[in-house]
Amino acid sequence: MSSRVCQSCGCTDIDVDQARGNAVCMSCGSVLEDNIIVSEVQFVENSGGGSSAVGQFVSADGPAKAPVLGSGFHTSLGKESRAQTLQNGKRQIHNLGSQLQLNQHCLDTAFNFLKMVVSKHLTRGRKMAHVIAACLYLVCRTEGTPHMLLDLSDLLQVNVYILGKTFLLLARELCINAPAVDPCLYIPRFAHMLEFGEKTHEVSMTALRLLQRMKRDWMHTGRRPSGLCGAALLVAARMHEFRRTVKEVISVVKVCEATLRKRLTEFEDTPTSQLTIDEFMRVDLEQECDPPSYTAGQKKLKMQQLEQELAQKLDEYQGEISVYKDEIENELENSRTKLRGIYAAYAKQDLHEEFPVDTELTGSEGAEDEEVEVAAQHLTQDFVSHLVSRDTQADEETEQSESKEQLQHPEKKQVPLKSILGPLPTVASLGLSESIKECITEQEETDDKSDNGELDLEGIDEEEIEKYILNEKEVLAKTELWMVQNAEYLREQKEKEERIAKEKEMGTYKEKPRKPSKRREPIRANTAGEAIEKMLEQKKISSKINYDVLRDLNSKGSDASSPSPAEDVPVSSGRKRLTRRKKQPNKSNLGLAKPASLMGKRLRPLISSSPKKKSTSTQAVPVVTPLTLCEPPLPTPLPLVESGPVSYAEPAEEEEDEEEEPEEPCVSAIQLIGGDEYGCDAEEEEAF
Amino acid sequence: MEPSDDVALDITVTNVVSVFRTRCHLNLRTIALEGVNVIYKPETGKVLMKLRKPRITASIWSSGKIICTGATSEEEAKIGARRLARCLQKLGFKVRFSDFRVVNVLAVCSMPFQIHLIQFAKNNRPIASYEPELHPAVTYRIKHLRATIQIFSTGSITITGPNVQNVASAVEQIYPLLHECQKALK
Repeated sequence: MSSRVCQSCGCTDIDVDQARGNAVCMSCGSVLEDNIIVSEVQFVENSGGGSSAVGQFVSADGPAKAPVLGSGFHTSLGKESRAQTLQNGKRQIHNLGSQLQLNQHCLDTAFNFLKMVVSKHLTRGRKMAHVIAACLYLVCRTEGTPHMLLDLSDLLQVNVYILGKTFLLLARELCINAPAVDPCLYIPRFAHMLEFGEKTHEVSMTALRLLQRMKRDWMHTGRRPSGLCGAALLVAARMHEFRRTVKEVISVVKVCEATLRKRLTEFEDTPTSQLTIDEFMRVDLEQECDPPSYTAGQKKLKMQQLEQELAQKLDEYQGEISVYKDEIENELENSRTKLRGIYAAYAKQDLHEEFPVDTELTGSEGAEDEEVEVAAQHLTQDFVSHLVSRDTQADEETEQSESKEQLQHPEKKQVPLKSILGPLPTVASLGLSESIKECITEQEETDDKSDNGELDLEGIDEEEIEKYILNEKEVLAKTELWMVQNAEYLREQKEKEERIAKEKEMGTYKEKPRKPSKRREPIRANTAGEAIEKMLEQKKISSKINYDVLRDLNSKGSDASSPSPAEDVPVSSGRKRLTRRKKQPNKSNLGLAKPASLMGKRLRPLISSSPKKKSTSTQAVPVVTPLTLCEPPLPTPLPLVESGPVSYAEPAEEEEDEEEEPEEPCVSAIQLIGGDEYGCDAEEEEAF
Repeated sequence: MEPSDDVALDITVTNVVSVFRTRCHLNLRTIALEGVNVIYKPETGKVLMKLRKPRITASIWSSGKIICTGATSEEEAKIGARRLARCLQKLGFKVRFSDFRVVNVLAVCSMPFQIHLIQFAKNNRPIASYEPELHPAVTYRIKHLRATIQIFSTGSITITGPNVQNVASAVEQIYPLLHECQKALK
């Protein structure tokens, strides 16, 4: 290969070490070149453990598109920033996507979604991170990958609901109907994380069956799918004799303990839970269950119905008891001696009063307490009867008869106390509620409807409103309290005022810090080309462009000059991020006005045709073609081309020579480009 | 309130939000110090005042704009707002009651059947949105009525709209759709 001549000794034997990046003269040992730019492919390790090549794929569309002059130019103006946005977005997608272990196809789809989103201006006012996460989640949903929104929010440390909001909005705007989340999708992922070893597949199948059953039992509507998965996996693990505690399952599935337990109890309530393991695997129960929340509501209704029934039954029993009481009483009366006058009067009353008293008491206190209540009543009756009998010094016969007959004893002596005590609390309790109800209804009735107008004072209770306003003493007390409570805030306010006063004195006071608004002079130009030129200069779209060269270009070429800066500008900016080596040929590209611009068009189909081929080919191709043209036209545009780019072209060429041999498609591509239009083609072939 | 078609469904209005202006600057500190049931929030620059009779909570700003929440009917909202204005008048501000309008009405309704949410979401694809990871209910938005309905699997639904009339018509509109996707009657 043609090598350089050593400057110090004139020797042509130069050793180029790729690994070190040195070019050293073999005779005198002087280092001719250091940090040689290599065109080898470098690999970098991913977070997932795989390795990916360093470099970027240049897409077919985007900055490399030929912009239309005139009306279409506005789109290419915004495209600079648009291209940046998309590139930035793509980078972030790859970052996040690799953390989630999504394959390339998913990432590409996500990037497509992002492009749609950006074109619909939905990124405005939203954090880019949220939008990207939403795009990724859209892809996960449409592809059916086992990724939850929770995973994304964990990675980004953002609230799930905020992400969910963005996701819903994007899905709606892009008219993408994501299929509903199926909990079955998550089972393999969680099963793997729970480490069942060889039996993972079996446990997964069992869990899937359980899930199907849960679905039919209406446990999954309105629930987070991860919770159901957790419950199914826990049961499946137990069925296969793996001891997985609730805590382990929770850490994998990301729900809280209470949720998991609730799901388990709900499943317990279904008839399927009664089957044994073998039966479950073989048999499928036909019937379906209601959703658990519905059954809970039904339970309440049932409880109320039960209570009503019990109350009815109580009444019946009470009726029976009172009948017995009557009979016994009659017999007693007949057999007993007549009592003294005071209690005889009461005796007549009690028969009528007892019934409402008892039913009220028992009805209000509920079925369960009824028996206790009745027993208590009778106990008190007995006790009181003893006391009363002692006081009145009744006959021993009556005492004995009383003590013998335990229950169902309407004792007249006891009853007066009961009748006095009994109705009192009930009447009071009932009366209170009624009076409260009356109060409320009164208040509501005083509220009238009013017409339009300033302030209609009808129906406004002045007194009540007076109550809302504190009197002076209260005001003072409250002022003190409030001052103490809000001392900090008041202090801050004072400081702020002092600061503003100072600034006013000094004359540097600003109402609010305002951003300095950029005012640009309107461009005045004669032709469209001039206007574009000036705009480009002003806006300074890219820092890599040598504007002086641009201007010279414009002066040299009339028609070709205007598209060339436009084309080269996006081309160069698009390639900004490529390796340094590529920039050099770009600069030399600029040095070739016409052929370069026309070349540019041809270059693009080249690049587009091999987007996913090895990066070597993409790197080599754009290098090869401009370089081949570099050589012949060099002598002609000497004043334009700087010596800088030219010198670098040579070593690049050397390396590219090495690469050329194995990569024959490059050569054929050149032939594609070369064709008949350029006279330098003949010279190209000669060079190789 | 209003029966829908043949079935008499109970639509219970649970919250009415309304706004009005007093057309005068209000000194929040005075209100905070002299009123009962007031909470002053200096960070956000508003005072919360709660009335008992029509149970409402009002957020009062110093510009004179007031938002009232918690009323159970449109009339009640208006009465509460007037009462509040009267109270402010008594505190010494030259209050005028203007631009009263009801902004939002929240109502609750219960269907006598359960609803298959996934099927419902499938049938009404773009309008209805169901994300079980985020919320257990299906969200159905009726654009021309500007009403949003949240449908739960038990059959209960909550409707939010700009006024009670819209809410009622929203229920009427959604009833047949829900009826299609109901679960097997038991």
